[in-house]
Amino acid sequence: MEVKLKEITKSFGSLKAVDRVSLLIEGGEFFTLLGPSGCGKTTLLRVIAGFTSPDTGEIYFKDQKMNHIPPHKRETGMVFQNYALFPQLDVFDNVAYGLRARKLSKADIQFRVSEILKNVQLENLAHRFPNQLSGGQQQRVALARALVIRPKVLLMDEPLSNLDAKLRVNMRQEIRRIQKELGITTLYVTHDQEEAMAISDRITIFNAGQTQQIGTPTEIYFRPANRFVAEFTGSSNLLEVNVISYDPEKGLLQTEFQGDQIWIKSFNKPGDKALTVMLRPEWIKIVETGYEDKTNLFHGEVVSSTFVGFMVKYQVNAFRDKLLTIEVQDPRGYEVKREGEKIPFRFDVERPLIIES
Amino acid sequence: MGGTFLSVIRRPLDGVFDPRSGLWTSSAGGKVFRRYLSIWNVVLLFAFAVLFYLVIYPMFSIFRASFISPETNLVSLESYQKIFRLPFYLRCLRNSLWVSGLASLLSLLLGIPFAFFTSRFTLPGKSVIKTLATLPLILPTFIGAEAWILLLGRNGLFTKLFQQIGITLPTLYGWQGIVLVFTLQFFPFVFLIVSAAIVSIDSSLEESARNLGANSWRVFRTVTLPIITPSIFGGTLIVFYLSIENFGVPTLIGEDYRVLAVQAYNEFISEMGGNPSMAGAISMILVSITLLVTVMQKYWVERRSYAMSALRPPEIRTLRPFPTLCIWFFCVSLVFLSLFPFLVVIISSVTKTQGPVMYFGQFSLRNLANAIQIAPRPIFNSFFLATAATLMGMIFGLGISYLVVRRQGPGTYLLDILIMLPLIIAGTVLGIALAVTFNKGRIVLTGTWMILVLAYFIRKVPFSIKTTSSVLQQIDISIEEASINLGVPPLRSFLKVVVPLMLPGIMAGAIIMWVTTLAELSSTIVLYYGPWTTMTVQIFQYIGSGDFGPASAYATILIVSVLIPLFILNRVLGKELTATL
Repeated sequence: MEVKLKEITKSFGSLKAVDRVSLLIEGGEFFTLLGPSGCGKTTLLRVIAGFTSPDTGEIYFKDQKMNHIPPHKRETGMVFQNYALFPQLDVFDNVAYGLRARKLSKADIQFRVSEILKNVQLENLAHRFPNQLSGGQQQRVALARALVIRPKVLLMDEPLSNLDAKLRVNMRQEIRRIQKELGITTLYVTHDQEEAMAISDRITIFNAGQTQQIGTPTEIYFRPANRFVAEFTGSSNLLEVNVISYDPEKGLLQTEFQGDQIWIKSFNKPGDKALTVMLRPEWIKIVETGYEDKTNLFHGEVVSSTFVGFMVKYQVNAFRDKLLTIEVQDPRGYEVKREGEKIPFRFDVERPLIIES
Repeated sequence: MGGTFLSVIRRPLDGVFDPRSGLWTSSAGGKVFRRYLSIWNVVLLFAFAVLFYLVIYPMFSIFRASFISPETNLVSLESYQKIFRLPFYLRCLRNSLWVSGLASLLSLLLGIPFAFFTSRFTLPGKSVIKTLATLPLILPTFIGAEAWILLLGRNGLFTKLFQQIGITLPTLYGWQGIVLVFTLQFFPFVFLIVSAAIVSIDSSLEESARNLGANSWRVFRTVTLPIITPSIFGGTLIVFYLSIENFGVPTLIGEDYRVLAVQAYNEFISEMGGNPSMAGAISMILVSITLLVTVMQKYWVERRSYAMSALRPPEIRTLRPFPTLCIWFFCVSLVFLSLFPFLVVIISSVTKTQGPVMYFGQFSLRNLANAIQIAPRPIFNSFFLATAATLMGMIFGLGISYLVVRRQGPGTYLLDILIMLPLIIAGTVLGIALAVTFNKGRIVLTGTWMILVLAYFIRKVPFSIKTTSSVLQQIDISIEEASINLGVPPLRSFLKVVVPLMLPGIMAGAIIMWVTTLAELSSTIVLYYGPWTTMTVQIFQYIGSGDFGPASAYATILIVSVLIPLFILNRVLGKELTATL
């Protein structure tokens, strides 16, 4: 079930929560709205669910215009951040609620509810009440309840944010697995970029009511459209460089940064003289003293060194006064640098990414 | 489509409501007309209509009447001039203020220590003491008046006893008696409100004051007292308000000591059939006073209240035996003093009587038997009217609560304020207003039971709305939205999913409404007629004529009818009485 949004705008008083947003979500796609708190992503979700009417714009579920269809007739299944389980009903009745509203036969209800409960691994808890369940279990009930009605679109509003870290990781896999199995078009709202990248087919980064970029996780991570996306999707070092020259044959850009020269691979000559360039911490490699290739080889002093087991994160003072973040995966014990150490580091010419501000 | 006026009206009608933001938003394009009127708009309009016909218009009628001279039927300030010139009326005003002010002050002086002793120190039997202390609040004040008349009236038990040993006790009748009854029955308001405030102070506040070098007295003076001051004001204002609008006690015990609430009624009776100019004027003055008190409550008290939840409530200290005994004695005496009279009433109901003479010590069930078997009509009337008013109140209250909590907007905001209007209008005044409005014209309701039900309904429905709204606010709106999302239309979602969760609150509101209606006197006395005499009127008449036997019989039945539902409520819910406040 394809979902199309055309120029949706929604304001609350003077605050523009959603600003001319247009999206096309493919049928069966797991599409995530990712952005910081208060950026309008939940508002957009509620517009699709029908709880909020947009000021302008249209919503289509596979060519059917949904704007004036009330929420209880839209055939969307919503999973709320606080689960919104009915406290006076047990798990079975909670999940069966939507089916009963659709006047399914008792046998059908029994079958479908049991099936979905098995799918989310809650078949033994069918007669417990919400207050007798753990957070993860409640979350699965909420998911089952939304899925069992076989909605056209599944809407999830930060469903994992109330769970602890390890559970969150497990649950997101579960959600993804079930979604793939059932093939339901899913819109997922979250502020956790790791979560978004782990399970989405495509992500749209949202900020201040506007889409910043739409793309697959790899596209967003390796080719951020602008500074906001670059900084939101992971740590990044941003350098303001000045262009000195461009060699079209080699495709190499010569730039200057705080007195040093940085070489960047580029297919065409950039228009401006001043550029913003991004380097992810893991693209910078620490090398041994005396490394031969001097291209993009620099020296810096370790300001802080944080060892978290599978990686070390360094803050390195380099160039004239730029603090860089460098991450090294699988550091061997004796390779962990200490504060005050002077280290050489480098990065390939293909790695620095030119981004718009 | 249409000018701004039309669009303002149209906005709520064709649009989607976003419960979370509380805003109505018009559909995109605005060209599509909703094919059906949103039911909630109908409810809103209905609510305003009810308010208009039962409160605003009647009040306006007497307001207008007060400015018309009864003789010439022309506009004149004659009535107001009489009030502010004639010593008789000035005395009425002064008496009202004196009695209410004194009762408030004394309630303060008794209530604050009581609150302190029960919330800060260990006392044997504390929970029993605290529960008993709240009982006077629910018992009708005029029964309290009867009780004290039985003890200290002309033929009172104690009066006679002391006469036998040659001591003449000071007379109960007059302002002393009124203040006595008010103080003993209203001090629990101060006690409850101040207790709640004391218990909500996080102990870290006082501990840090001590840590900074303050001794106990300084801590009390500079930390505790300022924090509980808004509550002290709040409780005092409640006592003042209830005292000044009270009708039964001054009538029974005041005798020649006239107060405004009683005088309004007297004027109304004498002006009946004509233009209730004096009654209107006095009513307006009374309403102005109660309005002032309510406004003071809102701005003085609520603005300054410090909302805090005690992470660690102040610890309860154990004093040495002698101080403990002293404060225990104080608390127990106060509770005893306020409840003992009611016990006397109950005993009187099974005592042999002959007119005003009580043969205490000799028992007879004749009065009770008469009340239940031969003349049960007042009992039936009271129950029927209270039930009818409560049923109306429950349904209306539920609708209004939903509007006020879930459908916020300028209309419901106004409704929320206006629906509390009946609370500032004294019972007699509202009774007079309704009588004046509905005794002529198209709808004549005076002389029927319906006008009583309407009066009770409009007077007490604010309680139902308050309890129901506060319960509804606790329920997260996402539950309703989840149900809507799963395919159940909004109204049915509300009824299926939210109302079951609200049931305890709804029942509490209903019981409070039923119980307070049962004990209502001030409006009833204006609006009742013959066959529709209620228990309260019956008791009142018997007390007035000195027939304490039958009076006590009905009074006991009334007391029992009030206590049993509240006892059940307490058992089932726990935090009942504080909720009503």
